[in-house]
Amino acid sequence: MQNETLPEIGSTITIEKSTMNEILLRLKQNGFLTIGPRIENETLIYGAIENLEDLPRGYTTEQKPGYFRLFRDRHSRYFDIIPGAQSWKQFLFPSCVELFSLRRITNSWEFAPRAVETPKFAFIGVRACELAAIQIQDAIFMREDFTDPIYQARRAHTFIISVNCTHPADTCFCLSMECGPQVRQGFDLNISELDNVFALTIGSELGRKLMAGLSFDDASGYVLASVDQKIGNARRQMKRNLNTQDLPELILENLDHPYWNEIGKRCLSCTNCTQVCPTCFCWNVTDESSLDGKSTCRERVWDSCFNPDYSYQAGGNTRPTIYSRYRQWASHKLGTWKQQFGTLGCTGCGRCITWCPAEIDITEEINNLGNEVKR
Amino acid sequence: MENRDVLKNELEKIPWFQALKPEHLEKMTDMAHLRRVKAGELLFREGDREDFVYIVLKGRIALDIFIPHRGKVRIYTVEPLDVFGWSSVTPVSHQRTAGASAVVDSLIIGIDSEKLRDECEKDHDFGYVVMLRLLKIVSSRLLVSRLQLLDMFESPEA
Amino acid sequence: MTTTATPIQNDISNPGILLRPKWAEVTEITPEADGIATYWLRFINSSDQQEFHFNPGQFNMLYLPGFGEAAISISSDPQDHEKLGHTIRFVGNVTRAVSRLKVGDVVGLRGPFGSCWPMSELEGKDVFIACGGIGLPPLRPAIYKIMRNREKYGKVTLLYGARTSSDLMFPREYEVWRKAQIDVEVTVDRGDANWSGRVGVVPMWFYHFRIDPRKTAVLTCGPEIMIRFVIFEAMARRVPVESIYVSLERNMKCGQGSCGHCQMGPYFICREGPVFRFDELQSFFNVEEF
Repeated sequence: MQNETLPEIGSTITIEKSTMNEILLRLKQNGFLTIGPRIENETLIYGAIENLEDLPRGYTTEQKPGYFRLFRDRHSRYFDIIPGAQSWKQFLFPSCVELFSLRRITNSWEFAPRAVETPKFAFIGVRACELAAIQIQDAIFMREDFTDPIYQARRAHTFIISVNCTHPADTCFCLSMECGPQVRQGFDLNISELDNVFALTIGSELGRKLMAGLSFDDASGYVLASVDQKIGNARRQMKRNLNTQDLPELILENLDHPYWNEIGKRCLSCTNCTQVCPTCFCWNVTDESSLDGKSTCRERVWDSCFNPDYSYQAGGNTRPTIYSRYRQWASHKLGTWKQQFGTLGCTGCGRCITWCPAEIDITEEINNLGNEVKR
Repeated sequence: MENRDVLKNELEKIPWFQALKPEHLEKMTDMAHLRRVKAGELLFREGDREDFVYIVLKGRIALDIFIPHRGKVRIYTVEPLDVFGWSSVTPVSHQRTAGASAVVDSLIIGIDSEKLRDECEKDHDFGYVVMLRLLKIVSSRLLVSRLQLLDMFESPEA
Repeated sequence: MTTTATPIQNDISNPGILLRPKWAEVTEITPEADGIATYWLRFINSSDQQEFHFNPGQFNMLYLPGFGEAAISISSDPQDHEKLGHTIRFVGNVTRAVSRLKVGDVVGLRGPFGSCWPMSELEGKDVFIACGGIGLPPLRPAIYKIMRNREKYGKVTLLYGARTSSDLMFPREYEVWRKAQIDVEVTVDRGDANWSGRVGVVPMWFYHFRIDPRKTAVLTCGPEIMIRFVIFEAMARRVPVESIYVSLERNMKCGQGSCGHCQMGPYFICREGPVFRFDELQSFFNVEEF
């Protein structure tokens, strides 16, 4: 039935699944680009979605080290997939973005005028690990001493509909990282998908107002218990574990440990892990010049600490060997990140495990390192 | 001819000689002589027979190696209180491995290598002090040679 | 359907432009050694010139459109607001393009960035500067600062080394510095018959100086291998790690602790560095390829 009053922030309501279409429509009417998981070219991506039917309903993903398969399952739920290689990072921190363009004037340069339109995103179906990743990147790009204008402009308008994760993949370990499977905070609306309804938790004033005039009920005790049960199941299903106790200390006190060499022998330095990682933030900047040298466009692109060029300086490469690049990556994520930004740089999403062509599993490797050190 | 007291007085100023017992200092004085060298004066050439180990008191002594087509390359300069010609004390070397000349007017002490070696052999307490000092000099010289060999200032893309 | 949701307000009025440089003109080029020159720059916009202040040890990002940016330490006098010196070795893509610049050409500048030599903490202390090669330019502003306030500092020593005598930076200034009661000692890795100075390497000359570890601060910059042995020699003379300051170099793209390239352990060298107090680095300074 239609409601006269709006739900309170923090409260959980139930809606018919089809009501989500109305919510999506309202977001679009408010100028949001609604983006969610969808299947394109037979794989799972994040792209524009119009309504629920664009979501990968009934699909499940199977993920293992170096393995990703998308298949139709018997269920009819919309949000049962675990994401693929893409993450929301590509929208807030685009993989390639123009900074400015210059034109040559006599012996100097002038900025070419340009209009920058920052899209307003509504992310639909953000998992707990992904929301945690967005918050980690917030801390990087929106610091007290430095705010990234591109990130901030995009992030300031982002509307987030998150979703509690109920069927983790084999590669997931968000529980170890204390980032999931349950969404805790930082959303506008949070979905818990049951077979027939969505339980919707209101997270912000904007999320609340979107519900004006829509049909909803207060979530019953049965619904809340069912949600809890599903999340509890997800926790129990998650087999992969990373021992995070004193993790930065373990890594930083053992930078010289020979085990890094063992990992380095397997690592191809292909950069896949950093490209799929939702928290990796390193970037490079390049000039795209016209052939006549009269104009140039400065672009920011994603970089990776696995690129040989990454640590190149006059005098050579600081990290010429692969083991040292892997160590840089892992010791940053699970060690020095804490000193830099107050949290670890990993949310346990498992992408780096799934997309590693050498099937290197960071949880296994770091646990091994811990065992080697203890021996 | 230098006065022995002046010589002994100069020897006593060298910090590591202060570790010597009085009788050892006497022995050392017997083997040593003071020598003044003028700027540009050649002390020995590469290939010369080794006879003395030297300690610089004042001035600067350069060690050069001659390389065909490149001329003399100055590989090291010896400043006050540093030692050169130390390989003459070792039993295996018989020829100077580099040439030595004074860069500026200098005052040096020469110690008869053969006598020093014999004395070390006869009196191991004395020999220990001398050898410990030579070891220190050699290890420092090795470090310098390594850093020079690494060519640490080399332009990376030259 | 009663109402629609409230429209979202755009609260970002001016998002700013990342890495936007200010333009500066090359006013003079001073060749310093083979493949090294100082480029004297002046901002085109006079207010940029007036607003620009830096501390000894800081660096600028120098931009050549079409080529990119390079982090270059400022080598001029921080009190001289008329011109800004950058001593550049032509070794990379950008700096080789710099070598083709002429007086009157225009480059982009962003900065100053990074930490600086602790000039006020050094007051009342003996200052022992041990540097090599192009490690002297980032220390020259500190030398100028000391000269202008010479009475505030104790014994000041500059021990400087280069590959050969023709690689020595700023040789014409040594006499000026000596006149300001700075003990300037120079050494080269290899000499020739015309070189009457020292031949050896920077760290080995420590033995030649009386260093009072209780009141001496050591500042060092140069090849990392030289820095390692300078620290070794300083520590062998019981100079506490808290009195040793090091300036480091890494690949840098942003200067704002954002792009990630210059990280060394927990530090973004462009932000927490380039100048560090050695105790901040000690735990991982000798880790290979870190």
